[in-house]
Amino acid sequence: MSDSRASSHAYPVGRLRRTVLEMAYAGSTVHIGCAFSIIELLAVLYRRFLRYPDNHPDAEGRDFLVLSKGHGVMAQYACMVERGWLGPEDVSNYFKDGSHLKGLSDSRVPGLEVTSGSLGHGFSVGVGMAMGALRRGTDQKVYAVVGDGEINEGPIWEGALVAAHHGLHNLMLIVDKNGFQAMGTTDEVLALGDLDAKLASFGFDTVTVNGHDEAAIEAAITTLWQRPGSKPKALIANTVKGKGVSFMENDNRWHYTRLDAARYAAALAEVDSGVTS
Amino acid sequence: MRQAFSDALVKLATQDPNVLLLTGDHGYALFDAFRRECPTQYINAGVAEQNMVGMAAGLARLGYRPFVYGLSAFVPVRVVEQIKLDIAHDQLPVVLLGDGAGFVYSHLGTSHQSTEDIACVRAIPHLAVYSPADRFEMTRCMELAYARKGAVYLRMGKADRGGVHTQMPAPDLQGGLCQVRLGKAGGPAFLATGSMVCTARQLADTQVPEASVWSVSCLKPLQQDRLVSILRASSRVVTFEEHDVAGGLGSLVTETACEHWPTRVLRIGVQDRFSECCGTYDYLLKEHGLDLASLTPRVHRFLKGE
Repeated sequence: MSDSRASSHAYPVGRLRRTVLEMAYAGSTVHIGCAFSIIELLAVLYRRFLRYPDNHPDAEGRDFLVLSKGHGVMAQYACMVERGWLGPEDVSNYFKDGSHLKGLSDSRVPGLEVTSGSLGHGFSVGVGMAMGALRRGTDQKVYAVVGDGEINEGPIWEGALVAAHHGLHNLMLIVDKNGFQAMGTTDEVLALGDLDAKLASFGFDTVTVNGHDEAAIEAAITTLWQRPGSKPKALIANTVKGKGVSFMENDNRWHYTRLDAARYAAALAEVDSGVTS
Repeated sequence: MRQAFSDALVKLATQDPNVLLLTGDHGYALFDAFRRECPTQYINAGVAEQNMVGMAAGLARLGYRPFVYGLSAFVPVRVVEQIKLDIAHDQLPVVLLGDGAGFVYSHLGTSHQSTEDIACVRAIPHLAVYSPADRFEMTRCMELAYARKGAVYLRMGKADRGGVHTQMPAPDLQGGLCQVRLGKAGGPAFLATGSMVCTARQLADTQVPEASVWSVSCLKPLQQDRLVSILRASSRVVTFEEHDVAGGLGSLVTETACEHWPTRVLRIGVQDRFSECCGTYDYLLKEHGLDLASLTPRVHRFLKGE
C-alpha cells in the first residue's frame, strides 16, 4: 500500500472535531479546548507533510510528529482514526477500564512518539530525533507541537539553544499559541512577550500563521522548509482554544469541563455544520 | 577506576559507531582520550541537563547508544522525570553516568554531593542501577550496561579507594553480588557498595575476621536468591554505603530480609542529613560517621547484640 493518505486524503476538519467530541463524551473527559486549537495544524501535517511509508505508524524512516503538549492528544487520536490506525471501538471505548488510549500522549501507542503531558519533555526528545536523523543522513523531518503555556518550561529553551547551535534544520517547532494555559491567559500567568522575536533571537527561522487557516498553514510550512541554511524552523500558530464550538471558544473552562448530553448534542451540531469560522 | 571508565567507553565507541557520549559540560580531562579517538561521537550538550536527557532519548529512538554523563547530583537527581518518562518508559538503551557520587566534592557543599541518587531512581521501572567498587567492576559494569540494551544508571563514586578485586571478576559480576572476602561459616555478612566496599573489607580484615564481605555492584536488578542465601547463611548483616540509609543498599537488603529471611541488619550510611561543614573527603566521611574509626564501635555493638 502506498502512502497516498499523506497527500490526497481529504476530510473536513469538522470530522476530526466530531471524533474528539465523541471520545470526550464517551470518556467523560476534559482537555477538549486543548485539542480543538490544534485540529487544523494536525490535519495539515497528516494530510500534506508527514510521511509514513506504507501508512505504518511505526515505519522505519518516517517523519516524527512529537506532540509535546500531550493535553491535545484527542486531536491526534482523531487524525489516527482517519489514517485507519484507530477504529470506531477505540473512540467509543475511550477511558473504559483497560483502554490503551489515555488522556495524555503515551509512546506505547503506535503513532504517538512521546509520553507527554508533563510539559517540556517532547521537544527535547524531538531535538534528539532531529539530531539523530541528520547524523544518519536521512531526510526525516521532526515536527514538535508545543503549547504556549508549555513553553514556560525551561527545557524548551534549553532545547532551542541546542537546536540552533547544532543547525537542526530538519526540526520544526510548532507553537499552538492559543493564549491560554491552565489557570488563565498566558499574559496573566507568565507573559511570553514577542514570541517571534524571542525564537528568532534563539536562531530559528520563524513564520507566524493563522492556525485555523489550512491553506495558510500549508503555505507557511512549505515556506519554512524552503528556507535555505541550517536554522531550525518555528511556526507560530495563532489559534483559538476551543475552536469550532461557539460556547467553547476562548473559554478556558473547557480545559476542564466535561460534556453533558445537551452540550454534547449542541457541540456536535456545530462541528457538523461548521457554523463557526 | 576513572581510567577504566574512560578505556571502556573508548573501546565501546570505537567498536560501535552508534555509541555517543553526551555531557552536560562536565568531565574536563576525563574525556581527552574519547575526544581524541572518537571526536564525532562526542556531544557537549551544554549546561542543560534536562534537555540533554530528553535528547538522548530522541537519539536512542534513531538507533544510537547514548552514554549521558553528568555529576550524580544532576544526572540522575536533577533529571529524574526525564529518565522516567523519556527513557525508562520506552526501555531505551541509554546509560546515565553519575560521577562524583556521595561526598567526592567534599569542599563544594550540598549542591555537588549526592546521597539520595539511588533512592531517586530505584523505583523507576526498567532502569538498572550499577555501583562499581573498583576498576575491575567498572569495566564489567560498562560492558553490562552496553549489553543490556536498556536504561542504566551507573553510579561513579570515590575512585581512588584501591582495589577490591585482584583480578577481573566474572562477566556477570555474579549477578551483582561478588564475594570479596571469605568469612567463617555462620559468621556475619558485610554487604557494601561502591566506595564503602574497601571500608567493609578493611573492617573485616582488622576487627571482624569471621565476617564475609560482598560487593553489591548491581543494586537493580539483583539476584534475590543469592541475597537470600547470604542472609540465611549469616548470623547478622551489616550494610555499608556512601548514600542515605533510606532508599539505597540498606533499604534493599532490609526489604528482602523482611520478606524472605528476617535477620537483624545494621545499616551504615548517611542518616537523613546534609553535610554540615566542608573539608577533605575523609573529613566528610567522619562527619557522617562513615570512616572506619567511627563505624567500628557501632558494628561491634551490633554484632554483640547490644
